[in-house]
Amino acid sequence: MITLSGLHKTFENNAVLRGVDLHVARGQSLVVIGGSGTGKSVLIKCILGLMTPDAGTIVVDCQDITHGGHDKLLHRFGMLFQGAALFDSLPVWENVCFRMLRGGMSRGDLRDLAIDKLRRVGLGADVADKFPAELSGGMQKRVGLARAIAADPEVIFFDEPTTGLDPIMAGVINDLIREITTEMGVTAITITHDMSSVHAIADRVAMLYDGVVQWQGDLAALGQTTDAHVRQFISGSAVGPITTLR
Amino acid sequence: MMRALAWIGAATLGGFAAIGRIAIFTASTLRHLVTHPFYGREFGTALFQIGFLSLPVVGLTALFTGGALALQIYSGGARFSAEAVVPQIVAIGMVRELGPVLVGLMIAARVTSSIAAEIATMKVTEQIDALVTLSTHPMKYLTVPRVLAATLVMPLLVATGDIVGILGGFIVGTERLGFNAASYLQNTVDFLEQRDIVSSLVKGAVFGFIAALMGCYFGMTAGRGASGVGAATKGAVVAAAVLILAANLILTEAFFSI
Repeated sequence: MITLSGLHKTFENNAVLRGVDLHVARGQSLVVIGGSGTGKSVLIKCILGLMTPDAGTIVVDCQDITHGGHDKLLHRFGMLFQGAALFDSLPVWENVCFRMLRGGMSRGDLRDLAIDKLRRVGLGADVADKFPAELSGGMQKRVGLARAIAADPEVIFFDEPTTGLDPIMAGVINDLIREITTEMGVTAITITHDMSSVHAIADRVAMLYDGVVQWQGDLAALGQTTDAHVRQFISGSAVGPITTLR
Repeated sequence: MMRALAWIGAATLGGFAAIGRIAIFTASTLRHLVTHPFYGREFGTALFQIGFLSLPVVGLTALFTGGALALQIYSGGARFSAEAVVPQIVAIGMVRELGPVLVGLMIAARVTSSIAAEIATMKVTEQIDALVTLSTHPMKYLTVPRVLAATLVMPLLVATGDIVGILGGFIVGTERLGFNAASYLQNTVDFLEQRDIVSSLVKGAVFGFIAALMGCYFGMTAGRGASGVGAATKGAVVAAAVLILAANLILTEAFFSI
C-alpha cells in the first residue's frame, strides 16, 4: 500500500535520511523503531506531505506523492501526534470532528459522532465540551486518537504514542491502538522507541539507524535477530555499535 | 575591516531575503483570500477579538491623547496668540495623524503580539501540522480570517479613536481651557475636510492589514520552543510598528502632498 524507495532528506549538513526503503502492506501494522534523532518523525512527515524529501519516491496505492498530490489522499489518513496537537481554542468535540466541520452534517450530529468516538477511546460524554487544557496528558492522547479515527481513515500514523505517559497509561494507549487498528482493519505506521509499544502494536518492525533501515522483519523475528544494532536497542545497552553521547 | 564588510554584506542580504519572504507571504495571503474555502467562524471570532475587544484600549489611548493635545496646542499657541485654534488643530491632528497612528500602534501591541504568539505556539506544538493532516490549509484557516478582519475592522477602530480623541480635546478645552462648547464643536466640524476623514480610514485599513499580516508571518515562521515563540512575538510587534510608521509617511505624502 505504501512504498518508500531511496528516500533522502538533509537539513543543512545533517543527512537524516540516506536512502530509506520500506514497504507497508494494506492492513499491516508497521512499527518503526530507532533512537532519538534517527529520522523517524521526518519519515512520517515526508509521507504526510509535511516535508518534501530531497530524493527518492513515496508511492501510496500506485500514486506517486513524492512531490505533491497529498491533498487527494489526506482524507484517507489519520494521525496521532506526539503531543496530541489538539487545537487549544476549540472544545474537545470540535477537535474530534474537525475534519467534518465543513461538511454537510449539522453541529448536533457532529457532536454526537464525536461523543461516539470519545467513548471508543474510553472517554465519557462529559469530556466533549471541555477544552484541551483542562485534560490530563493521557486524556489528551485519547482525544488525539479519537480525532485520528473520527473520519474512518484507511491509514493511521502514530508518532511516539506513549511518550510522556506513565507505564500504566502507556499500556492502555497501546492496547487501544491495537484494538482499534484491528477492529477497523486499517494500515498503521507507528514510530516509537518504546519497546512495550512495539510488542503491543506491531505486525512488522523496522529499525532506522544512520539514515537507513538497518533491519526489518516480523515481530516474531525481532527477538531472534542477531543484528547487533537491534539487539543493543532492545536491551538498552550503552555498549554496542550504536554510539551515544555520554 | 573585512570582517565588518562581511557583516554588513550578510546583514544586507539577510534584509533583502526577509523582504522577499514577507512579499511571498503577502502574495500567498492575497491568493488564498480570493479562493475557496472561506472560514466564516474564524473570521467572526477574529472580528470580535480584534475589533470589539480592542475598543477599550483604543478609546482610552485616544481620549488621553486628545486631551493632552489640546493642552499642548493651547500653551504652544499662546506664544504667538493663537490659542483659539485648539479645536481645529485637535481635529486635524487626531483625524489625519494621531488617530490612525496611535490606533495602529496599539493594535500592533495588542493584536499583532497576540496573533504571533498564538500561531507560533500552534507551530511549536504541531497544531499547524495537525491542520494540514486534517485537510485544512493553515493560510486559509489562520491567516486569511485574521488579516481580513483586521483590515475591515481597523477603519472603524480608527474612526472611534478619532471621535474619542476629539472628545478628549473637547472636554479639556471646555472644562479646563474655558472654550465655549457649541463654538468648539462648530469649529471642529467646519474645519475638517472629506479627504481628512478618507485618509484616516484608508490609513486604518492599511495599518490593520500590516498588523495582522506581521503577526501571522512571524507566527508561521517561528523557531522551536519557548524562545521561538518569544522571538516571533517580539519580531512581529517591531516589524508591524516600523511598517505602520513607514506606511503612514507614504500615505500622508500620497494624500496631502502639495
